[in-house]
Amino acid sequence: MISAPDVVAFTKEEEYEEEPYNEPALPEEYSVPLFPFASQGANPWSKLSGAKFSRDFILISEFSEQVGPQPLLTIPNDTKVFGTFDLNYFSLRIMSVDYQASFVGHPPGSAYPKLNFVEDSKVVLGDSKEGAFAYVHHLTLYDLEARGFVRPFCMAYISADQHKIMQQFQELSAEFSRASECLKTGNRKAFAGELEKKLKDLDYTRTVLHTETEIQKKANDKGFYSSQAIEKANELASVEKSIIEHQDLLKQIRSYPHRKLKGRDLCPGEMEHIQDQASQASTTSNPDESADTDLYTCRPAYTPKLIKAKSTKCFDKKLKTLEELCDTEYFTQTLAQLSHIEHMFRGDLCYLLTSQIDRALLKQQHITNFLFEDFVEVDDRMVGKQESIPSKPSQDRPPSSSLEECPIPKVLISVGSYKSSVESVLIKMEQELGDEEYKEVEVTELSSVDPQENLDYLDMDMKGSISSGESIEVLGTEKSTSVLSKSDSQASLTVPLSPQVVRSKAVSHRTISEDSIEVLSTCPSEALIPDDFKASYPSAINEEESYPDGNEGAIHFQASISPPELGESEEGSVENTPSQIDSSCCIGKESDGQLVLPSTPAHTHSDEDGVVSSPPQRHRQKDQGFRVDFSMENANPSSRDNSCEGFPAYELDPSHLLASRDISKTSLDNYSDTTSYVSSVASTSSDRIPSAYPAGLSSDRHKKRAGQNALKFIRQYPFAHPAIYSLLSGRTLVVLGEDETIVRKLVTALAIFVPSYGCYAKPVKHWASSPLHIMDFQKWKLIGLQRVASPAGAGTLHALSRYSRYTSILDLDNKTLRCPLYRGTLVPRLADHRTQIKRGSTYYLHVQSMLTQLCSKAFLYTFCHHLHLPTHDKETEELVASRQASFLKLTLGLVNEDVRVVQYLAELLKLHYMQESPGTSHPMLRC
Amino acid sequence: MSTLCPPPSPAVAKTEIALSGESPLLAATFAYWDNILGPRVRHIWAPKTEQLLLSDGEITFLANHTLNGEILRNAESGAIDVKFFVLSEKGVIIVSLIFDGNWNGDRSTYGLSIILPQTELSFYLPLHRVCVDRLTHIIRKGRIWMHKERQENVQKIILEGTERTEDQGQSIIPMLTGEVIPVMELLSSMKSHSVPEEIDIADTVLNDDDIGDSCHEGFLLNAISSHLQTCGCSVVVGSSADKVNKIVRTLCLFLTPAERKCSRLCEAESSFKYESGLFVQGLLKDSTGSFVLPFRQVMYAPYPTTHIDVDVNTVKQMPPCHEHIYNQRRYMRSELTAFWRATSEEDMAQDTIIYTDESFTPDLFMCTCAGLLYRNIFQDVLHRDTLVKAFLDQVFQLKPGLSLRSTFLAQFLLVLHRKALTLIKYIEDDTQKGKKPFKSLRNLKIDLDLTAEGDLNIIMALAEKIKPGLHSFIFGRPFYTSVQERDVLMTF
Repeated sequence: MISAPDVVAFTKEEEYEEEPYNEPALPEEYSVPLFPFASQGANPWSKLSGAKFSRDFILISEFSEQVGPQPLLTIPNDTKVFGTFDLNYFSLRIMSVDYQASFVGHPPGSAYPKLNFVEDSKVVLGDSKEGAFAYVHHLTLYDLEARGFVRPFCMAYISADQHKIMQQFQELSAEFSRASECLKTGNRKAFAGELEKKLKDLDYTRTVLHTETEIQKKANDKGFYSSQAIEKANELASVEKSIIEHQDLLKQIRSYPHRKLKGRDLCPGEMEHIQDQASQASTTSNPDESADTDLYTCRPAYTPKLIKAKSTKCFDKKLKTLEELCDTEYFTQTLAQLSHIEHMFRGDLCYLLTSQIDRALLKQQHITNFLFEDFVEVDDRMVGKQESIPSKPSQDRPPSSSLEECPIPKVLISVGSYKSSVESVLIKMEQELGDEEYKEVEVTELSSVDPQENLDYLDMDMKGSISSGESIEVLGTEKSTSVLSKSDSQASLTVPLSPQVVRSKAVSHRTISEDSIEVLSTCPSEALIPDDFKASYPSAINEEESYPDGNEGAIHFQASISPPELGESEEGSVENTPSQIDSSCCIGKESDGQLVLPSTPAHTHSDEDGVVSSPPQRHRQKDQGFRVDFSMENANPSSRDNSCEGFPAYELDPSHLLASRDISKTSLDNYSDTTSYVSSVASTSSDRIPSAYPAGLSSDRHKKRAGQNALKFIRQYPFAHPAIYSLLSGRTLVVLGEDETIVRKLVTALAIFVPSYGCYAKPVKHWASSPLHIMDFQKWKLIGLQRVASPAGAGTLHALSRYSRYTSILDLDNKTLRCPLYRGTLVPRLADHRTQIKRGSTYYLHVQSMLTQLCSKAFLYTFCHHLHLPTHDKETEELVASRQASFLKLTLGLVNEDVRVVQYLAELLKLHYMQESPGTSHPMLRC
Repeated sequence: MSTLCPPPSPAVAKTEIALSGESPLLAATFAYWDNILGPRVRHIWAPKTEQLLLSDGEITFLANHTLNGEILRNAESGAIDVKFFVLSEKGVIIVSLIFDGNWNGDRSTYGLSIILPQTELSFYLPLHRVCVDRLTHIIRKGRIWMHKERQENVQKIILEGTERTEDQGQSIIPMLTGEVIPVMELLSSMKSHSVPEEIDIADTVLNDDDIGDSCHEGFLLNAISSHLQTCGCSVVVGSSADKVNKIVRTLCLFLTPAERKCSRLCEAESSFKYESGLFVQGLLKDSTGSFVLPFRQVMYAPYPTTHIDVDVNTVKQMPPCHEHIYNQRRYMRSELTAFWRATSEEDMAQDTIIYTDESFTPDLFMCTCAGLLYRNIFQDVLHRDTLVKAFLDQVFQLKPGLSLRSTFLAQFLLVLHRKALTLIKYIEDDTQKGKKPFKSLRNLKIDLDLTAEGDLNIIMALAEKIKPGLHSFIFGRPFYTSVQERDVLMTF
């Protein structure tokens, strides 16, 4: 059967019989381990624990001409990091590589010493016994007093993971090259300064010697020179020679930019100054003059001193420190860059790799990224975009783009930009991370080993535990009921009951009021509704949509242009101005490969479950908008004016284009005369600068905390599914509670499920203490609301009950939820209360991957070419709608309410895609 | 070096290799640390070119540098360390494998290096692992050769009382030549036929108007699913270069840019040899419609392989990572042991025959591998997945020719990568970074929505690439136990 001689060679039966049982004679050193990952103690994480140091660090070493290789400093400068690792030995190892092989000093046949601008070398090597591997970046600095004027240094990134270094080689190389360039630039400046001083000293010495010689000449009347005079003359000649030599050196160091900086990626400032210098050099023929007129003129006055012509080269002299060699400012800047590198490559390789892959893939998804991706990443991408456009050089930008790509916040030490006095190189380091943020990141890092991390491991007995006081209220009305009156649930909201009062209610019962059904249960959401009642749900919810006109507290959406459709679009409808394009799909128009998104059909969809879906209309964006006529008997204008009181900057407006004050004003105007109100889509843009989400939002710490709290939430509350469903389907969820900290915590946790509709911030308001306005429900999709026991608080709750059709209300104090029914399968996979996921950060990752899957479905639904377009002219909209329903069910495998989630996300995608400036509008209110 | 081995003459022995295409490799060298003279170069391999890119003097100079500092070598027993140099001053990159060995009675340090121009840095880096793995194994064998050479020489000297001849120490060179030349050929073929970093989706099956236009729906599903289950490592064979390359490009869409650069298209005129360690490679069948896949090299690939025949639309796959690694290690150990036990030069030389003549016909799907008698190495794709199936069902719903499918593909890959990371983190949490055994695979499947076996395989394979050893850690112990039990049973 087998024709392979190699197989035959090793398939002698005795081989196979013997090999596993007889100890092979082959010495182990010549063999390979049979279980590379499964031997004793070996596991995918164990290779990192073999080293004597606790984590990666950077070591700067020097090959000292006096003592040989020696370590100078480490980053971070903490002995705990490198532990018992022998830095001296490792310095010896990494500095013993004779990488230069370039001549420095007096070349044969040359009259003067020649500076050789040696290019940096990069070496990856290791010490497998110590489990230490290093990327070593060798560089040479100049020192007038050093042998051959050179001081060899190296910067090494030391890690226990060899693969990490090789896989990140190019990134490491790029980052270290920057640090090296910074050091060398500073060094050239310092070296030139040193030369200048030396020249002044020599010049002064020459003058003195010359004067002395002249005096001796005059004093000498014997006609011959004394030995002293000859000595003076020799000394003078030596000084003259030294001056020429040093002038030549100065010329060489000054000519560096013209020779070396060509072809390098220079920052704009660097190039400008090179050009300036070049033009200056061309007009200045005398090197002395050039030196005088050059940058050195700005130096503080230096008092020359008398020196010996020949410098003493002895071993007792003190060599300059690295800081002295490079100029303090540049040295500080280099340290900042090195700290940035240490921070950038810190941690497990798998996270580094994944974040790189993540970023690369996200770059290809401009259309959907805004929904759930972190803003920092989005910003990164935008920066990347800007950088790809050739623009005017900006001094604020770092020299290259690779820093932007780093997954973690950047430079730790803030240093400004300044100019080199040698090449006038503008150097500007990244300074995106302030001290405060750095501290936070540090804390994050520390917390990875902090005992508190163990809190993350939630008590297993918590899972599935259900508080007896928790209840769920399913929003809906009996189909037969046509008149809406104040429901029990609303009533309960208007009167701030103490939690005890609510908990004293019967635990498992349902109340059927004339307008709504309230189901109180301790069961998980799937089992909340008794079987005999389930069938009536859709119809019951259908009833909810028919709010009669003039009802107290009822909100009526009117399509101002299409009165005939009023009956159908009573609630939440938008203007019905359909066009041929409107009824087509997102890719209805194509031109030169460009997608043109038409809007969705203009008619209002009233879903069978009574939740009103109002797809955005392109035509209402500019001029028409939907109009809302409403009566509000108890509205308190002043309270609405204050509705944004106390909002932190980042919470002001997710789109940053709607000034809340303007909204309030407009609303008030509309309210006072019951006239139409132009929706947010058509509202005037303010000049407000988009404020970023809280800086720490996308930090690991934040993610971990958010995930941890979300995990607690889904385990503690049986109604987590409908609550999350509300968020995913665009229905505003109000978290009501007395304790701000608890409310904020939950809001932050739930925010991970909230789709954004702009590029800048999630529509989440962490804490509001004033009554909410209708616009707030449109603007914010998750609101933390203060429950106030005072009469003022009644207004808040009244407003809440008034708009309860558009909101789900999670009462934290009473542990109740009022929301639409959810029977899908998507959310249980996203938030299973029985999950064995232990850490918040892991749960966050899980949510992230599930939401990406969801985005993918929404993307497909939005851009599926045959789905939204009629296949022929006579195809009715009903047929198109049924095709869409079939697609959602069969192709995307969505059931029940999951359909609404994808439809809502698709709506956001369309809205985002259609608008020139994303985030200028809000999706419609959703019941 | 010992007195038995005199320093080489200034003119270092050199082998010039004629390559059909452009060679990115400037030279390969073998150097050793002489106890008196320091680093010395013993042999140089260089491609035969009209233009002299590096003089022998320069090559020697560079090769000497690779051993600099190695007098301080502090390595684990038997370690083969890798050093990597980027010498901008010289415009070259050097990859050196440093190892200790016994040669002619002395223990010394050796370095096998390859030298490339610095301009090839980004070309070389994705291929670093392939080159290092292959050179590492030949060094393992070469070390045994050197050791046995010494023993035999000593015995010969004792028994016959003869003086050793000068060329006895050269014996490792032919063995190294046997691997250096294929590495040069590999790099040369990659220079001309590697898959580009960016693939235009229009050149792939995913640009078809509908699924099944280019190839059968089930075949495509199997091919992509198995490709992902075997860590993105596949061999595509067929009679038509265009057809093969279309599938190669399609499969490469599911790889990272760096992995694509480590994949090779099929040559239109004649077929390349199979190269161990590439991610995807297209290979042309011969005129008789068959292709011989070298078993040994398939076994030495770092990941299991999917075998795809575009002529007959078959997809076969190797066992998952932990089994593959186990088989690979047993095979390696057997090979090295046989090498060690060889009593005569003929026995030793047999390896050369094995090496050059090895073949394995996958059509048989039967082979004998390191103790696993007549086990199927390539088997049918047993585990179905929902991830790829849903993706293929959905992606063709999007209009081709726009960027929609690319975006959708990127989303799919993002989902896979995020699931893989979640899985790693899940296991990391559950086992406290490997301190405890992992026991809750069932929970993992439910929690991460990976209940379909194929889905789990795909995500595990992806996770294996970013966290090597994960398969062995999760599935290894029960597998090894069952293998041992079976072996015990077979003895009765």
